[in-house]
Amino acid sequence: MKKFITYFLLYVIFCTLQFFLGKNLNIYGVFPNFILILIVYLGLTRGVVSAEIAGFLFGLTWDVFSTDIFGMRAVIFTITGYLTGIMNKHFNKNSLFTKIVIILSANLFYRFGFSFIYWVLPVSENGSSFFITVQIVFKVLITILITPVVFFILDHLTIFGQQEDI
Amino acid sequence: MHEFRKARYGNIIFAILLTFSFVLIIGRATPYVSIIKDIVYYIAYPNIEVANKILHTPGRFADNIKSVVFLHQQNLIYKQKNQELEDKIRNCNIISKEYDNLSKLLNLEKIKNTKSIFARILAREPCEWYQWLIIDKGNNADIKKDLPVVIFNKSKNTLCVMGKILEVYKSSAKVALITNSICELPVEIKNKGVNCIAGGFDSNLLKIIYIPLDSDIKPGDEIVVSGLSSVFPKGIPVGVIREVMEGTYIDFKTATAEVYFESDVIYDAVVLAPCESV
Repeated sequence: MKKFITYFLLYVIFCTLQFFLGKNLNIYGVFPNFILILIVYLGLTRGVVSAEIAGFLFGLTWDVFSTDIFGMRAVIFTITGYLTGIMNKHFNKNSLFTKIVIILSANLFYRFGFSFIYWVLPVSENGSSFFITVQIVFKVLITILITPVVFFILDHLTIFGQQEDI
Repeated sequence: MHEFRKARYGNIIFAILLTFSFVLIIGRATPYVSIIKDIVYYIAYPNIEVANKILHTPGRFADNIKSVVFLHQQNLIYKQKNQELEDKIRNCNIISKEYDNLSKLLNLEKIKNTKSIFARILAREPCEWYQWLIIDKGNNADIKKDLPVVIFNKSKNTLCVMGKILEVYKSSAKVALITNSICELPVEIKNKGVNCIAGGFDSNLLKIIYIPLDSDIKPGDEIVVSGLSSVFPKGIPVGVIREVMEGTYIDFKTATAEVYFESDVIYDAVVLAPCESV
């Protein structure tokens, strides 16, 4: 039950952070991708199932709030959660370098996934190509910078949820 | 073992979630989600802009439905037109075929001292198939009893013996076929100068009798009307010898012959009436 409450709280907190605060507290449209950080965190600490389900749910929620093709974030986040989940045994999870590399890879996968889906299923005849702009580079950088902080907070938050399992 | 199960479980969930996500992408659910989202927005923050959006989105949807219905109706109209055209083409083909037949009939060499009266076959009784049929010309077309009736044979491209007029009515006539058992016709074996008699026995074959014993007749020989016939002009093809039998009678041979008029479908007949000028 505690585990469920923890996950639900995480869901509410991260949705609020990403969709409501992100809309108002961004600097020139640059705001970290908290949801991606959470999915990577769940993949590294909880494993495949938790990460992919969280990825799917967060992706679906984000799709509802966005104007992009419905379902594309669900696909990208589910795959991200699955990949980080199956790789979690091969990395030193406590290493800062590992976290940064995985978050960077997840960010790149997220961007290329977007481009690929838009390339396969163009929305208009002109195409909604997804360019790597300076803004996106800053978004990735700020997400990488904030990752250790979010991981630290998440480590302490999820202790509450883990206690039930012991 | 537990780890393996967990991994397999994770893979299955991954496959299900991924399939579901792809279905959402391929299904292009964005407009429908957008409507639901707008409605939810409107409930949360009712304002004119959102209300406008909600009203416009179903409008586009309704337009799409209208165009689908319109296309469907057009499709039905085109299908109907297509059917009508197909019917017309079919009729044209039938008319064209009939035209070809009639052209061939008209191009036939005229039989001496006769005029041709073209008639359509109206009925042929199934239980008396080889006995008689009805044509659509009668007294009103100068058809008289005992006039010879011939038919155009497409494969031979000539007129062949069919029968003779048995009964005449105002606008129809009954034709006794040469295969009828009441009919007998003097014939000769073509190019062999052998006279004999062909008689019907209610089948598609003719029985040829009085063939001289010394005559050289074999299957495949053609039989034509002989000059002894009082009904048919001389030389009109009748049929072809199928089998020659010896020993049935002491003084002559017998044979069976296939009639030409049965070798094709028959729709039209030609009555050979005597020319009035002669």
